[in-house]
Amino acid sequence: MKQELVITGMGLVLPCGTGIKAAQASWESGTPCFAPLPANLGSGLGAACTSFSGNGIIPPMQSRRLDRPSRFAWVAAHQAFQDAGVDPAHLGLRLGVAVGTMTGGDEATEGFLRPYLAKGPEGASPMLFPNCVAVSISGYLSTAFGLRGPSVTQLAREGSTLAALEQAQRWLRMGFLESVLVVGTDGLFPLLTELLQRTHLSVREGLPVVGSGRGLLPGEGAQAFLLETRDRAEARGARIRAVLCGVTALAPATRRPAERSRVLAEAAACITPSVPDAWIGGSSGHRVLDEVEAPLLPLLKRWPQPKYPKTIWGEFCGSGGQLLAAALLEPGRRVLVTAPTSFGPQYAAVLEKP
Amino acid sequence: MMRVVITGIGLVSSLGLDAKSTWRGMLAGECGLGPLRYLSLPAEPVQIAAEVDLPSDASADRHSNKCDRMALLALEEALDYSSPELESGDPRRRGVFQGAGTSGLPVAETYLLERLAWRRGNAVEAVYQNSCNVTDTLGLRLHAMGPRSTIMNACSSSLLAIGQAWEHIASGDLDLAVAGGAEALCRTTFAGFSSLKAMDSQPCRPFSRDRAGLNLGEGSAQLILEPLTLAKARGARILAEVLGYGASMDAHHPTAPHPEGEGAARAIGMALRTSGLYAEEVDLISAHATATPANDGAETLAIKRALGDAAKQLSITASKSQFGHTLGAAGAVGAATAVFCLRDQVVSPTLRLVDPDPECDLDYTPLVARERRLRAALVNAFAFGGNNVCLALRQWEGR
Repeated sequence: MKQELVITGMGLVLPCGTGIKAAQASWESGTPCFAPLPANLGSGLGAACTSFSGNGIIPPMQSRRLDRPSRFAWVAAHQAFQDAGVDPAHLGLRLGVAVGTMTGGDEATEGFLRPYLAKGPEGASPMLFPNCVAVSISGYLSTAFGLRGPSVTQLAREGSTLAALEQAQRWLRMGFLESVLVVGTDGLFPLLTELLQRTHLSVREGLPVVGSGRGLLPGEGAQAFLLETRDRAEARGARIRAVLCGVTALAPATRRPAERSRVLAEAAACITPSVPDAWIGGSSGHRVLDEVEAPLLPLLKRWPQPKYPKTIWGEFCGSGGQLLAAALLEPGRRVLVTAPTSFGPQYAAVLEKP
Repeated sequence: MMRVVITGIGLVSSLGLDAKSTWRGMLAGECGLGPLRYLSLPAEPVQIAAEVDLPSDASADRHSNKCDRMALLALEEALDYSSPELESGDPRRRGVFQGAGTSGLPVAETYLLERLAWRRGNAVEAVYQNSCNVTDTLGLRLHAMGPRSTIMNACSSSLLAIGQAWEHIASGDLDLAVAGGAEALCRTTFAGFSSLKAMDSQPCRPFSRDRAGLNLGEGSAQLILEPLTLAKARGARILAEVLGYGASMDAHHPTAPHPEGEGAARAIGMALRTSGLYAEEVDLISAHATATPANDGAETLAIKRALGDAAKQLSITASKSQFGHTLGAAGAVGAATAVFCLRDQVVSPTLRLVDPDPECDLDYTPLVARERRLRAALVNAFAFGGNNVCLALRQWEGR
């Protein structure tokens, strides 16, 4: 019999603020968090974590070494452990880390490359280079919390955090670990917003609207979830936030856009035997993602209408982590999450709250 | 748990564009390192690397980069050897697992160069390039609809990718997996390691007293994994068995390994546990062996810590002495090396090891290849952030 897996802790750094209360209020109000970006993060509109501070959690000496995704991840992880009521140092080798990110490492790469390309070797910063690789995020979490189990950093475009969740459940179900910290994290940086604008992927005026084809707006933030076996959670008397009923991915065997829709529908159907109470969708206003997810709507007529966190908190913003966060904040008991991606595997997950 | 076997390997390196020529060169003690030719960085103090001479391919997809092309070349070789039945079977039960390499990073570098020169640059191409592209390219070639995993664990990425593939097949979820990695040189990695003073301006010397750093290399290794039962049923030629893997974090430093090899030893220990191997059964270690002052001593300590007295009986090989550090592909390259060693019962040499570090006091197979009995092998890969992975393999004896 398969081991049942549960989420017992959640930490959220979102453009609406830090912590579950801020996220709950934002999700209930549905008010988009987009605003003109400060120059150090880019240009145009975006959902930046402008009020974020790691003070009191990240030591100042450490904070200076970190890029934005690592700072966000550190604070979100701290909250998730607190929320779960665990001291990670005591979990030792039986605690793993699975990070999902789409832009992790890119902010540092831009910061490293610009002076190098302009000045040559004397412009290269040995402090910045390690952050150019997204694995640095798990490395910082490891040193911050004394995590010594396995770690993986998954890249799967807009579905990266669901890919991390999939690996986490595998480690737990195979009995390698008792708990895994699943983290989604992304940060804004100038080159990202420039590229989005120049390729017309981002909205030129107004806000993103799913189905409009007008484009997306970028966001940033981190979400951390402590995933455990139910046995372990119950043994320590933990409060269960949700049961992970399933997470699945299917990839299109061809480049045809319709194939992406078909496999997303198949992925969702194979873990959703009954009509869910709520549906969190991954459409963002970006034509490609919207066109992958839209065909599911007529197929699933009896299902509740999806809600779209990316139109509030932005695209990227945890690369699927924001969808899982919304699923946990949404009132429905059994919540389906669909995470369409611009190419490659399409993800779906089902969470059931007690 | 299902038993998992390797039925095909493709290998592209600076020693050759296929596994056969690469392996032949390795056993002959050839070195694939040489002066930088394709990457032009005249201001860099280090001017040595192991570059791959890839023939121009007019049929290549216009978006494809060197990583994609090396990965595809390696995959085709692996498929040629393995001959899996791609026309039949459920495509949902085929997966692709890749360690992320530089992939399209050179495109982003070019874009930034253009922008610094106040030119427009090709923004569309810069957005299109993504580390997942290699994984998807291979997935499309296989008509695979199952999991596609792109792992960014730096230098241990592709070894963890093989571990993931093993998990999926061992748990009965997949019938076929391609696992590996591809890495091409680019400005960011070259300048980055240079800024860390981690590169040697001479050919690297793993485990030597005067070792002074790594050399960067290019290449790709792709391994085909499948359940033993299916491989046997279709009469596949089995190269080796994958027994399991271990992984750990150091919780120590962003770039430096734990000086006592504590985390690496735990990864090796976990690999022994998941594989059911006794330390005494391990006859070979394909070492991470970057030739940096910090790595090789710590790795030696880790091996001794994890294997105890058995460490003195086994052979170690350092393939980076032959074709440099291939970063995201390094773990898969090390695994391919170990499989060929197991198959041919010979250990490829560690080049330029004439004056061993007294702290590195194991058998590193210096200078020349050596025949010996090899039953099981471990493959090490350690990465930034203290991310350690160890894969366990067993010689295929027909049972």
